[in-house]
Amino acid sequence: MTALNIKRGGRIALAVALATTALTGAAAAQDCTTKIGAVLPTSVDWGKPIAETAQFVVDQVNEAGGVQGCKIEMVLRDTQVDPKVGVDAAKALVDLDGVQVLLGAVSSGVSMPILTSVTVPAGVAQFSCCSSSGAFTTLAEEGKTKGLWFRTFATSNVQALVGAKVAKDQGYKSVAVLYKNDDWGQDIGKLVAQHLEAQGITVTATVAINDAQPSYRAEVTDAIAGQPEAIYLALYPTEGISVVREWLSLGGSQNMILANSLKSDEFRDAVGLQYLGSAHGTDTSSPRVESADAFVARYKERFGSEPNGPGLSNSYDATMIALLAMEAAGKDAKGSEVAAAVARVTDPAGTPVTADAAGFTAARDVLAGGGTVLYQGATGNVRFDENGDVSAPAVIWSFTESGTQEDSYISLEEVDALAGAGN
Amino acid sequence: MIGFISYAVFFSTVASILAIAVLGLNLQWGFTGLFNGGVVAFFGAGAYGTLILGGTPQADHLGGFGLIYPLALAGGAAVAGLLAWVVGILTLRLRQDYLAIATFGIAVTFENVMRNAEALSGGAKGFRGFERPLRDLFGDGFGYNLAFFCFVLALLVGVFLFLERLVRSPFGRLLRAIREDEDAARSLGKSPARVRLVSFVTGSVIIGLAGGLYATFYAFISPQDVLPTLTFQIWAMLIVGGAGNNRGAVFGAFLIWGGWTSSGWALSRFAPVEAQLYTGSIQYILIGSIIVTMLLWRPQGLLPERLVISQAGQPRKPRTTGSMT
Repeated sequence: MTALNIKRGGRIALAVALATTALTGAAAAQDCTTKIGAVLPTSVDWGKPIAETAQFVVDQVNEAGGVQGCKIEMVLRDTQVDPKVGVDAAKALVDLDGVQVLLGAVSSGVSMPILTSVTVPAGVAQFSCCSSSGAFTTLAEEGKTKGLWFRTFATSNVQALVGAKVAKDQGYKSVAVLYKNDDWGQDIGKLVAQHLEAQGITVTATVAINDAQPSYRAEVTDAIAGQPEAIYLALYPTEGISVVREWLSLGGSQNMILANSLKSDEFRDAVGLQYLGSAHGTDTSSPRVESADAFVARYKERFGSEPNGPGLSNSYDATMIALLAMEAAGKDAKGSEVAAAVARVTDPAGTPVTADAAGFTAARDVLAGGGTVLYQGATGNVRFDENGDVSAPAVIWSFTESGTQEDSYISLEEVDALAGAGN
Repeated sequence: MIGFISYAVFFSTVASILAIAVLGLNLQWGFTGLFNGGVVAFFGAGAYGTLILGGTPQADHLGGFGLIYPLALAGGAAVAGLLAWVVGILTLRLRQDYLAIATFGIAVTFENVMRNAEALSGGAKGFRGFERPLRDLFGDGFGYNLAFFCFVLALLVGVFLFLERLVRSPFGRLLRAIREDEDAARSLGKSPARVRLVSFVTGSVIIGLAGGLYATFYAFISPQDVLPTLTFQIWAMLIVGGAGNNRGAVFGAFLIWGGWTSSGWALSRFAPVEAQLYTGSIQYILIGSIIVTMLLWRPQGLLPERLVISQAGQPRKPRTTGSMT
């Protein structure tokens, strides 16, 4: 090729690039690849969709031209919900693949050792969709996460606050709390009890429910002993069904407050709608903005079903925020720079961007101009506090013939107000 | 390159820690014939013990005794030994499979206690508040991992040499005598019950030491670390490596852990994108197949026990017979 041709070719390429950018907002050059790591429990039934959702985000961003003009490759490793395996996978991703951003894990018991022994020492930014343990907040308060830790899982405290609000609005004087005996359940059970008492409601009992027991008569008897006017259930459907059946058969009250984990058709059908007339559920919610609808629409296009399942919207947001922060941090940014850039993409005063490819493209332009953006994600206008925790809007729902209906919407400001009042 | 070395050190640390636990189990099963189905309880006792003794004060659970590290680690191992002593007195009269079931029950109980006794162990959210020793000196990164690996390796070598001496000593012969025929041993005036207890406690102390090192390495432990999977992993290492052979135990630990991790790595690298989501399940199948193949093809393990025929008063010159089988 002669110099002239090169020049001409360059011009054509430039023209084409400009045209493409003008048309779709996407950059064309994608010869380079940036790796990010993901350690998720793909060998567990509920872990697979979480990983699929993360990959979905990566595909959308690649479609929009990638991060800093580079294609993103997500290297996915299975944790087997075994801390050893997860930590080893994370270490291999950091050392062998050189990732600066790590997504995961789901279980707090896996995320925590990854954080303390892999990502923090190596200065890698870690984004978890679903780890709920309060221990992360404490660790962050002690300054031991070095600002590298973020999680998009907001449900525990928000739901506990709203659960207590339901009890107050319904005028219950006494409530028994039954919770799943794992880190999520222990956490939410404790928080609910705390918020209920703060509202002046007596907590007659807090009872742990272990998985997979054939009968929960002993636990239910404990809970019913204080004759509470209502029960709060932070359980998964399988155990929830057994517990509620025994509860009702022992003459317990039909006043129930349910965590989002019981928002399931299986639970409604097995218990029977006639017993769930005075059951109120809580959940964190998407914000009332188009981006959340966009997420649902795109998700349906891709997977052919509603994004109903634990952690899907959280996984979406964790991945998208990680990629936006990488875009904001610039080319070949280190993990700590990516972590520092998170504030630039979740700035309440920034330009709002939607949770899809177009949103990513829009964010790229704003960020390139030195501006900040507000990512309106699938779980809300995600905003991290200084400990990497998020808050979210909430809804109160109840069961209907065909599924569930939303009774009321509690905006982020109201949730924050509840949190302020609770403390 | 530095990344590779860094990972290799990290991998070897975990593998060495597991190897120590496998050595402990080898003393119990390989040499004494005690079927310990609750390895994870003793591993966990060592882990929690070390962190409780060596940790900084925490608001919501026990701990914060802030002992200097060697004491905390020894304390953790002692906690495991104490647990083993209590369990042993209760269960050691049980034979093989009954002992296995009883110890398995102990392990499940242990996990549940740790999950629920929040004031003791931090509950399901895990036990925090432990500072890795000498962090100020080595920092947080590769240097620390290398130093810690050297420490673990030294302990592995120490435990290995100790057990090699032990099983070649008269006491070691007594262990094997009891393993092979308890009545014969008793007829020679030995007390099988006492010897079994000593072996069980010693093995558990070693397993507890491994647990303590494990928790130190992660500076964290939660009930998820003490699930029955770990018992299975350690047993697989011993069976594949060769029960009754300390070299086999160490070799098996590195081999199985290497296979466990490298299969995940290889799948993430070489499996097609569409299959990526299923690599977790594929990995389980692979690991299971390797173990089944081993059991069918070489049930005595890769490095089988070497039967030593010793002659009193003579400088020992072992003749091997077992490896031919």
